[in-house]
Amino acid sequence: MKTLITIAWRNIWRHPARSGVLLAAVVVGLWAGVVTVGTVNGLMQQRVDYLIDSEIAHAQIHHPEFLAEGYSWLFIPDHEGILDWLDADPRVTAWSARTMTDGMLQSPIKTSGVRIRGIDIQQETGTTDFHENMVDGEYLDSDVRNAVIVGRSLASDHNLRIGNRLVLVFEDVNNELTSGSFNIVGFFESASTEFDDRNVYVRSGDFSRYLADELIVHEIAMRFSEPEMAATVVGDINSAFSGVEAQTWRELSPELNVLVELGDVMLYVITMIIMMALAFGILNTMLMALFERMREIGMLLSIGMSKARVFSMILLESVILTLSGALTGIILAWLSVLYLAENGINLEQFAAGVAELGWDHIIYPIISFPEYAGIVVLVIVITLLSSVYPAIKAIRINPLEAARDA
Amino acid sequence: MALVRTENLSKVYNPDTVPVHALRDVSVTIEPGEFTSIVGPSGSGKTTLLNMIGGLDKPSSGKVFINGTDITGMKDSKLIDFRLRNIGFVFQHYNLIPVFTARENISFIMLLQNRDKKEMLSRADELLDKVGLGDRKDARPKEMSGGQQQRVAVARALASEPKFILADEPTANLDSSSAMNLLDIMSRMNKEQNVTFVFSTHDQRVIDRARRVITMVDGAVDSDERRENGNDNEKE
Ligand SMILES: Nc1ncnc2c1ncn2[C@@H]1O[C@H](COP(=O)(O)OP(=O)(O)OP(=O)(O)O)[C@@H](O)[C@H]1O
Ligand SMILES: [Mg+2]
Repeated sequence: MKTLITIAWRNIWRHPARSGVLLAAVVVGLWAGVVTVGTVNGLMQQRVDYLIDSEIAHAQIHHPEFLAEGYSWLFIPDHEGILDWLDADPRVTAWSARTMTDGMLQSPIKTSGVRIRGIDIQQETGTTDFHENMVDGEYLDSDVRNAVIVGRSLASDHNLRIGNRLVLVFEDVNNELTSGSFNIVGFFESASTEFDDRNVYVRSGDFSRYLADELIVHEIAMRFSEPEMAATVVGDINSAFSGVEAQTWRELSPELNVLVELGDVMLYVITMIIMMALAFGILNTMLMALFERMREIGMLLSIGMSKARVFSMILLESVILTLSGALTGIILAWLSVLYLAENGINLEQFAAGVAELGWDHIIYPIISFPEYAGIVVLVIVITLLSSVYPAIKAIRINPLEAARDA
Repeated sequence: MALVRTENLSKVYNPDTVPVHALRDVSVTIEPGEFTSIVGPSGSGKTTLLNMIGGLDKPSSGKVFINGTDITGMKDSKLIDFRLRNIGFVFQHYNLIPVFTARENISFIMLLQNRDKKEMLSRADELLDKVGLGDRKDARPKEMSGGQQQRVAVARALASEPKFILADEPTANLDSSSAMNLLDIMSRMNKEQNVTFVFSTHDQRVIDRARRVITMVDGAVDSDERRENGNDNEKE
């Protein structure tokens, strides 16, 4: 065995350039592949985290038709009872009751369709990080009466400034067209320009007065101690209360769901491409090496080297070469991901476009240990599989090749 | 018992298309201690005969016995092991392992035989001394002349302690002084240690050194001549 390793090792360095190219390709391929996987992972995870943290939370409760229709009369019946239930459940760490409906924003310039979101500042701050999106002026904790905050891009469309008034038009619970005049106290800018153009925030207490005689709630967003609990808690709420529908973040945001699945597909495709390249690289190099060594292997079989040993010798040669490259690549990738997870990959140059789509400009790649392990196992399996073919070819060589003229 | 015995050995290449009768009913016997040369014009079947005797190729009909064992029907893997334990090979193109030194090339075959490590190394050194390469033990094939490489090849064949050594045109690639030097070594091994050699050649000076000359013509044995003083021509 030791001699087989020696012979394999020396055969690898018989053509330093050729082996070097394969080695370099394997190192670079795996490095690039793993870093890409990490980046795609990071991108997806950041987007998921962002939407959960800034808006959706882990789960939400609505009137079953509210999300589709957006009418103010589709509020949650007996929200007090539900909130008491949530307070009593230790899995629920925070909730925010929102009063909202679709309406129109009117400024002296024009009119835009928006979703008006009435929030309770304390509840919302405990549940989401939306307040971190403030870029100018005050948040809704302002003393100003009927305060409203709008997205900065929407504000500039309407030529609105802090201190200006705007009119919100909407239907109340009795289907009556109602309007209220609100005072702009600040601008926000989330990661998505589209979101900023379509949503305005007011205090739920202020807003509810225009809609009904008492405080009504259209949406309860909840956070749990573990995001994975979402499905079970949602199930419990749905069986405990009728006339409402609780949904997890995955159900609430088809975008996120598609994103997560798309991310998985992308990872799969990237991995497959790398593995195919690896397999072809091995086959190409090893078959070339074999072809040159027909006479030598014919000699080995002639003088009595067993097929098992010839097989192992060729297998070892490609396994040593490939795995040393692969492991180097993975270790380099691991170090790179470690570094980038701290410092991030800055997509500043594409930032405008990226923000349009709702992405962050700085990506922090992440790869979990099982993902690393999966890649390592896959590389080993592919290496073995694609090394087996040249090894089988080797033992099929006719010993009479030994006597062939070169 | 004869060391090698062929029984009506025939070989037809391409029997279905353009049949070539490379061997026709060849029955020869080789005894231990012989120093036999197989000669004949090109295409007369020398290589084919040596390949049959060496268990490297299968006859179309007839049988090959080595030390009484019929190797004709042996399975590939068994035959490989049989060759390892019984037959030494020297090739026209030397065929050393290029990534191994002279010493490693010789130890390698003993390693295949699972011999004791220490014995292996001392035996390799001893054999290199005997073939006059005591000072090239750590040289790789590329660093040696053809004659030197072929001497390593002979040492390798000897290392496995085979029943006999087959060499198809061992001197064909050598200049005549290297060829004679190789023959000196072979015949000395034959005389001193009773190693059996069977080799083919076109070279008259090599033929002159043989003690038995089997002449092939058109796939059949044309003459079989023993010359008791054959390898006494050695110039000392
Ligand atoms: N693999 C093969 N396929 C077809 N014909 C073959 C094959 N090997 C040898 N022959 C033919 O068999 C005959 C005997 O060939 P062989 O190689 O045994 O001759 P040889 O005496 O060794 O010749 P040389 O002195 O040129 O080496 C020749 O006619 C040759 O063309
Ligand atoms: Mg020949």
